[in-house]
Amino acid sequence: MQRRCRRRKKRRQLPPESAEESATEGTEEALKGGGSNIIYVITASFATPMFETEANAVKETAEALGYEVKQVSHDDDLTVQAEVIDTAIADGAAGIVLDNAGAEGSVAAVQKARDAGIPTVIIDRELASDGVAIAQLVSNNYQGAQAVAEIFVEAMGEKGKYAELLGKETETACTVRSQGFHDVIDQYDELEMVAQETANWEQTTAYEKMGTILQANPDITGVVCGNDPMALGAAAACKEAGIKAVIISVDGSNEARDAILAGEMTATAMQEASIMASKAVNIIDKYLKEGATGYDDEKVLIDCTAITADNADKLNNFVLSE
Amino acid sequence: MKNINKNTVLMNLMRGRTFFVLLVLVIFFAAKSPAFLTVSSIISVMRHVALYGILGIGMTYVIITGGIDLSVGSVVGLTGMIAGGLIFQGLTILPLGITIYFNVPTIVVISLALGAIIGLINGFIITKFDVAPFIATLGMMNVARGLAMLRSNGATYQNIAGYEELGNTGFHKIGGSLGIIPNVVLIFAAIALIASVILKFTPLGWHIFSVGGNANASRLSGVKVQKVTTLVYMFSGVCAAVVGLITSAQLTAANPSSGDGWEMNAISAVVLGGTSMSGGVGTIGGTIIGAFVIGVINDGMIMIGVSEFWQKVIKGIIIVLAVIIDQFQAKLHARMALMQQSQEMNA
Repeated sequence: MQRRCRRRKKRRQLPPESAEESATEGTEEALKGGGSNIIYVITASFATPMFETEANAVKETAEALGYEVKQVSHDDDLTVQAEVIDTAIADGAAGIVLDNAGAEGSVAAVQKARDAGIPTVIIDRELASDGVAIAQLVSNNYQGAQAVAEIFVEAMGEKGKYAELLGKETETACTVRSQGFHDVIDQYDELEMVAQETANWEQTTAYEKMGTILQANPDITGVVCGNDPMALGAAAACKEAGIKAVIISVDGSNEARDAILAGEMTATAMQEASIMASKAVNIIDKYLKEGATGYDDEKVLIDCTAITADNADKLNNFVLSE
Repeated sequence: MKNINKNTVLMNLMRGRTFFVLLVLVIFFAAKSPAFLTVSSIISVMRHVALYGILGIGMTYVIITGGIDLSVGSVVGLTGMIAGGLIFQGLTILPLGITIYFNVPTIVVISLALGAIIGLINGFIITKFDVAPFIATLGMMNVARGLAMLRSNGATYQNIAGYEELGNTGFHKIGGSLGIIPNVVLIFAAIALIASVILKFTPLGWHIFSVGGNANASRLSGVKVQKVTTLVYMFSGVCAAVVGLITSAQLTAANPSSGDGWEMNAISAVVLGGTSMSGGVGTIGGTIIGAFVIGVINDGMIMIGVSEFWQKVIKGIIIVLAVIIDQFQAKLHARMALMQQSQEMNA
């Protein structure tokens, strides 16, 4: 079995230097919004619980502030995203909260909204260019992946064979998470990756592919997954094959929480989806009223929290209760 | 004379062309990965093959009539969501304010009926409004996917085990196995047998071929073209519903994006099996071999660790190559018939 590892160049956005990048140009005149009272929240498919949480958190926060909210999905498709943003512009949106479909590919669409005077706040996944969105609350995927990777290494006892399930490889989140995992795991020579497959962020695909991977490598004792649905699919396949494996992922959904409590998964990194989304609305509100976001830097990294059997019972809808 | 003999040999070789491709693939993957030909691995491949195969059998009927059904992948997702939702939340009848929970056999029947109804709508739109099958089922593909998402607002139903006190447990058994043979493989075999018998030995089978061969001529000779066309789409819908039930039962979770793009795997299996996209020609046996080719390529490449991107490229090339051979065979067939004719005339 040859070892295959598609590693990529380190992304420029990784901490800590990004925090020091220059803030939005203060000289430029503040955007006024499109004229209406509507805030658009545009995310990937609601089939992933995290995006549903984001959309709902925006709705809740914005409606409390007196805005109307329209929730739209771009299905991780740049073309669809461009069309949706066009619609938002035509609709005279007051602001846009966007969990974008691709760091580089989304810049033009967000610039178009800016040209139409509509402020956009990016949440979760970063945008490649600065000065286009008014603020970016970026989920620190790299830190989150590293945090669970540490737990993975410990649970594996620093040795053994493992497989990795990747999300859509065209997306930055997939690359950065994989990078975070490997920057920790690759330090241990006795941890060997024997398979790496794309499962498109999907549970069913992950289940089917994991089943096949286990046929070729029945001695696997760990699975590293790019998101929760894939981890759940992998867990189902391992359970069926009678294999007890250490399974980690990044997301922090309720489904992963339940799997962790049931002993079928080991850990997940919770992204502060709810907090990012409601903060984004507050930023738009403040910006429209005062002409400033209140943050020094455009890009703010929001750290993830590792969820294990120790704290899983406190997790609900991307919020960890005290 | 000599020429004919040479052609006959070639002809016989080509008749089993897809089977030949399958054999080459199996030998290749077995050589590359020692785990490929183990019993558990073969069973695992067959489970995946069965899913594409069941969709492919429904699709074979549709394509023989000269149509296409793009909605099957979405129907897989929708039936899973409907079945999962019925187990989890039951059916709430709002005016009465009551919630009914069905037992698993009833849920299976409801889900299959749903597949049939979707096929009925497809068939109705195609036959009554003269809409091209590609367009009608493309529309249904989107509608069904949208409905699947709407059912749970996009969320996944996890752990659909049912409730002991409501008597709706046991859904996961559909995805279980009999001895070492998974249920999905048995269901696949049963559907394949029935579909094959209907196609070969019943008037309905003859009607399906004649609709695809020449719809006008068959109408004139008394075949109820609209009825037959509607029936094949209903059958395809039911096949998709079966796959939807099985995938969600295997995973004990229903995911609204499940089955995304599977219609293309089904169409590939059918085309690899020698069924003509222009209708009138096709066999269930061919589709089964086609499904095996797709399944073996998918699983084999994962097992030997080919990158996802190359997997797509290679799969595409194999599909087109198989059809090129198919066309070549058709030409050869025509030439041989012509030569035989002229020879008979000379004699």
